[in-house]
Amino acid sequence: MKIHRIISLKQSLYCFFFILLSGCNVTPANKSAILQIEQGQFNEANKTIKQNYSAVGKNRLLYELELATISHLNGDYLQSNQHLTNAKSHIESFYTISVSEQALAMLSGPTFATYEGQKYYLPLVHYMMAINFNALAQSQPSMRQIHLDSAQVEMKQLDVYLSQLKTNTGGYSKEQTDNSLTDAIYKILQPISAPSDLLENIEYKDDAFAHFVSGLLNEQNSELDAARIQYERANQAYSMGFTKQFGLANETITLSRANLARVMQLAGGYQNELNELLDKHPSLSVSDSPQLSIIQDLGIAPEKKQFNLLLRAERNSKSLIMYPVFIGTAREKREQQHWFQMLYADTSLFDMMQNYIMGDIGDVVLGSVTKRIPLGSLWDDAEEIGLIDALEYGGRISVSYLAPPKLPIRKTEVWQGNKKLAELTPFHSISQLALQQALANAQSEIRVAFTREIVKALTTQKAIRAAGADQNNLLGSFVKIASTAVNAITASADTRQWQSLPAQIRVAQFNIEPGLQNLTIKTTLNSGRVIQQSANIDIQGSMTIWHTRTFLNAPVNSQ
Amino acid sequence: MHRKKNFLTYSSLLLTGTLMLGGCQSTEVKRVDSNQEIALSDNWNAKDSQLVAEAMVNDMLTFPWVNDHLKNHSSKPAIIVQSVRNKSHQHITVDTFINDLKRAILRTGQADFVANSSIRAEIREERKDQELNASIETQNEMGQEQGADYALSGTINSFVDEQGGQRVTFYQVDLRLIDMTSNREVWNGQKKIQKHQKRSRFGF
Repeated sequence: MKIHRIISLKQSLYCFFFILLSGCNVTPANKSAILQIEQGQFNEANKTIKQNYSAVGKNRLLYELELATISHLNGDYLQSNQHLTNAKSHIESFYTISVSEQALAMLSGPTFATYEGQKYYLPLVHYMMAINFNALAQSQPSMRQIHLDSAQVEMKQLDVYLSQLKTNTGGYSKEQTDNSLTDAIYKILQPISAPSDLLENIEYKDDAFAHFVSGLLNEQNSELDAARIQYERANQAYSMGFTKQFGLANETITLSRANLARVMQLAGGYQNELNELLDKHPSLSVSDSPQLSIIQDLGIAPEKKQFNLLLRAERNSKSLIMYPVFIGTAREKREQQHWFQMLYADTSLFDMMQNYIMGDIGDVVLGSVTKRIPLGSLWDDAEEIGLIDALEYGGRISVSYLAPPKLPIRKTEVWQGNKKLAELTPFHSISQLALQQALANAQSEIRVAFTREIVKALTTQKAIRAAGADQNNLLGSFVKIASTAVNAITASADTRQWQSLPAQIRVAQFNIEPGLQNLTIKTTLNSGRVIQQSANIDIQGSMTIWHTRTFLNAPVNSQ
Repeated sequence: MHRKKNFLTYSSLLLTGTLMLGGCQSTEVKRVDSNQEIALSDNWNAKDSQLVAEAMVNDMLTFPWVNDHLKNHSSKPAIIVQSVRNKSHQHITVDTFINDLKRAILRTGQADFVANSSIRAEIREERKDQELNASIETQNEMGQEQGADYALSGTINSFVDEQGGQRVTFYQVDLRLIDMTSNREVWNGQKKIQKHQKRSRFGF
């Protein structure tokens, strides 16, 4: 009778798990906010962020970043820069790791810890601040010089950051080949289950686009020597792997090279270097006419979601097994399945052999939908410390994944009246960058999640024992079920991210007459819909920058 | 029984620890002397601005241009601040540095300042208004402004070297004074500041 009761309790618990898990992929507040911005509802978006995040809480970085984007898109550039300055200050403070907070996260879940962002956020913060100063320079002619100097301050800070990043990662100093030392290290470190070439060359080690924009801003401010250095760095990073890594256009390489040649000519004193460059690239044309650079931020970065695994101890094979639980819409389930199979599932020959040795033949077939961790001789130790008992009712492991980036754009062009001036091509892909970071972090994320859930299960087990609720009686089972449920609730993956970032950044640059010019960017979607954005741009000096953001689902009359 | 006691003891300790940590997050504000340096980071701060301005002005007034001017003119030299451009890696409010320079020069009593172009335009508007609305005895005449004899301009530059938790920041301020009649550079000054910041990788 008692055994029957416990079996039905177990079944109820699994049901409870699934119900709990199914409610987990809710739209985050910052995603709602960017969707409101897309519809032009800036006040509502502002409210959404302020209601859901706090300036002093664990999501203080997101609070500043999202409000900065809202203010930027609403044309309040000073306010946007205030938020970005606060964000920079937070990022700087995160250098010091809080031991107490790490301990709290280990005993609860990653969502209970302060969100510290990704390492590619800081360059984007500097980029956005510089773009804001550039917009202020255009709208306040009397303070133009001060704002352009301020934009350069941002680029100098960015340069300090990227120099350190390059020191740590090696940057793109050599063209990436399969025989490099980095690749050799990747091969050793990469998980056995991941496809052999999946995690190669996906590290964020320099930012060619940031160097390119820095070159533009320096050139605009007549700092030709600084511009030359930045174009040179951009060209090196683009040609040595950045373009390939993020699937960008070849114009990244040709335009950064052309700009390098132009500032060499404008600055004077680099004739030998210029001749060398022209000899190496005979098709290179050097223009000394005024240039307009258009930077178009496109779309919204893909959402970070979570999927769940059920962790169980299997006595027969003395293994811990993780079963993925695919929940959500049909598309989400498919995405979760692909992510699991790509990164975690027992699909390598080694894993199949393990499954064959440890389990029955069914597990060999099921390998693509499970992850087995054979304990072997460690099983007895695991039993002794109470791990096997602790996992009697299973445990929830939750990890994040990124929805596949999709940008349904056929082309983007710039027009003046009836004349097409240029085509904008991809110079940076934030969605690819986010995806690659997620892939790179996936193994450590599941390892940390796995460890955390085991620590939590063991702590609970010890607490139950200390409280005298014997695990073999009915009360003990109830306590255990309740604590397993609590652990499951707190096990949510960390899906926080700067959601209002664009998915892709496109650039076009061309000769143009000085003075006020009316231009239109036409973005043609795969559906055939054309989004048009027009502006009067005052062309001054050798370089002018026009920055804009294009949302693909904006109402027709708002663009 | 013993286990129960242990559990209760640990729980109480954990609770007390949590409460103590929660108590650490209070905010305290106190008034301090504006001349006192409170360096929270290696950023350019008010004290840097003040010290650099004083040091550079002291250097500027030791050069022979002041005596040369007094020999040839009946009045103290009049200086105009043209521009000080921030070319450093940090957002520096250049206006406060210029004001520190002005205060340091005026304090010595050896030179006068002429207002810059935007302030001059405002004052001229005011004088125009006086012509219409002020009594004749209190009106100030147009065309009686003092022209500047020397123009002061310069830049603030910086270099940063950073590795791990350590950062060395080097600020360099370059100023020059130009004789507005002859375009001669009568003074060129330079002041450098170096700061070293260390950050701990782990904290509580």
